[in-house]
Amino acid sequence: MTTTQGKRATYKQRYQDGDEGLRFQELTYTGNFVGMEPVTDGIKGDQMMKSRAKSGVLEKVSKEEVLKNQFTIDELNDLNNYLAWNIWDVLVMRATEGVSGMIPRQEYEILAFMHEFYRWPELLRMTTDEIGAQGVMDIGASARREIGTKINSVHDWAIGAVGFGMGRCGLLALEAIGPDDYIEESNEILKFMQRVLWGKRQDGYLLNSQDRYRCQIHEPDFLAQLTSQVEPLEHGSPKHSAFTQFNAAAELLSFLDHYDCRLGLGDTGPYELPDGNLLILRDLFVNEEVFHWSDVCEDAKLPHCYTLALVIDPERMGLNEIRVNDISTTFTRPKNYIEAIVGGAVFAREKWDTPMGEVYPIKIDDLGEHLGRVQTATLKLYTKTSKMHRRDLIWNGQYVYYVDMILPHLRKAGTYDKACQDYDLWEIDQRVSNYYYDITKRGFAQETVPSKIFSGAGYLPFSDGADVRRSKYRWGL
Amino acid sequence: MADVLAEGYNVFDTSKSPSGTIKYLASPADVIGLIQSGKLQEHILLVRGGTTTFLAPALSMGAIGVITMSGAPESHLGILSREFQTPCVMTAHLTGSDSRYVVGNTDEAHFVEIAKELDGKRVRLDCTDHEVGRVVADD
Repeated sequence: MTTTQGKRATYKQRYQDGDEGLRFQELTYTGNFVGMEPVTDGIKGDQMMKSRAKSGVLEKVSKEEVLKNQFTIDELNDLNNYLAWNIWDVLVMRATEGVSGMIPRQEYEILAFMHEFYRWPELLRMTTDEIGAQGVMDIGASARREIGTKINSVHDWAIGAVGFGMGRCGLLALEAIGPDDYIEESNEILKFMQRVLWGKRQDGYLLNSQDRYRCQIHEPDFLAQLTSQVEPLEHGSPKHSAFTQFNAAAELLSFLDHYDCRLGLGDTGPYELPDGNLLILRDLFVNEEVFHWSDVCEDAKLPHCYTLALVIDPERMGLNEIRVNDISTTFTRPKNYIEAIVGGAVFAREKWDTPMGEVYPIKIDDLGEHLGRVQTATLKLYTKTSKMHRRDLIWNGQYVYYVDMILPHLRKAGTYDKACQDYDLWEIDQRVSNYYYDITKRGFAQETVPSKIFSGAGYLPFSDGADVRRSKYRWGL
Repeated sequence: MADVLAEGYNVFDTSKSPSGTIKYLASPADVIGLIQSGKLQEHILLVRGGTTTFLAPALSMGAIGVITMSGAPESHLGILSREFQTPCVMTAHLTGSDSRYVVGNTDEAHFVEIAKELDGKRVRLDCTDHEVGRVVADD
């Protein structure tokens, strides 16, 4: 260990009533609360946002509430404000990363945001009509007894935070819509998100940030099946190195296969084990079959997903806070948890719908062969991607967001094929196709998007007296 | 005390202190060329962005240290360098210059100045501080 050796773990204090957590960044959030005390990141920020809500939608809500088909305007505005803060909380620092040099991510992101806001409401309504509101909640609940599933924090969060929040924000910034347009469609997206998340968590909350950044969705008996495969790891040993190297390499490929976005990974936890150590379960999706560029992953005989069980000794690193945030990523203070990994296990799920009984463990001593396959696919995919032209990269990336963010829910509902055949899921809406030429003008993707979407400044509220049935009826006025 | 050439966000604190000659990588072809040269581990890599795909094969093949001109530990490259345990200094600025990176408002000259000043220098990375990573002359 390095600079944290000998320091006592204090992370459990974060779970005590009244504790406001640590600050992970110095920036503060204003959003729609101009003139009020700026909101912080973390647990304190969550508490401040809840205290400013006009409705009870940010508190623990009942199943009956979730099954209702309609939010009130206050509830919609509370969700809009909370999601805007949550987006800022998890992304404001990430968004400083600038140009990729490889994939024009800011460009594809903004196109996908707007495409989602226009197209998802119809697709999500169709899915709800097919399986019912309870069926949508059951989609979320399915994640409680599965690993290697994309029904996870980042995908479920993205339905509302990206499809509604960022999509509406982007269209407002482009002045393509007004604040009271598409209220009915906003309700459709947010209801779908609420039902999936509630069904998954089943504690009344929707987001990990509402629960002090915990995503403890798995039952103890399910976890026991996984932890029975954990092998002890000693820092500095070849086995520890093999496990952490594989974790990093597979995570890298999951980013690359998903065009440098977070949809390729999914953490849950932290789960406290009987010996006091913490378990993080990490899905790394290294081969998504709906992406045509994933053929190199298929050629390398990679499974749909590797799942890693990471056992962390909180005392070894003097852990002060651990966050599994709503985009499925784990951050700690101190930052370096890798050296505190004291156990691990790896599992593979060959296809997205492979039954849990057929998910198989891989011994750490056997990871070398899998690492080679991952590295081969990474090099081939990098070479392939580097030869793609800008337009292809942008539209491919757009599909990663627009399709993959709701793909697991449509798959589980059995409506993906219908969405493709009857609703032209993979077509690009003409409005969004035209926006392609607008997003690079006046720095829209490079400057307006970061300033409006990631700072929280562009999430305008719905008017108090707005009609919840309102769509958009007037253009150009 | 050794000369600190540049400072930035320290992605994770570590006693690892890699040294090498800074290699500025401007394009995917540069990345592929460096890997094919077999000299990847002789260099500290300098890149403009904080995204991870650009450096993907270099990280996968064992890059020893990274410096970026934008991004933060929460950025994808920050996350991956932590996972690889590759020391990484992000949004580095020259200690001898007042120019700073500002999201969406940084002109080309800022990046050019950093690349020109650091490319080819023999350095080591000091990543022992919780917050600040340092690029130190290693002549």
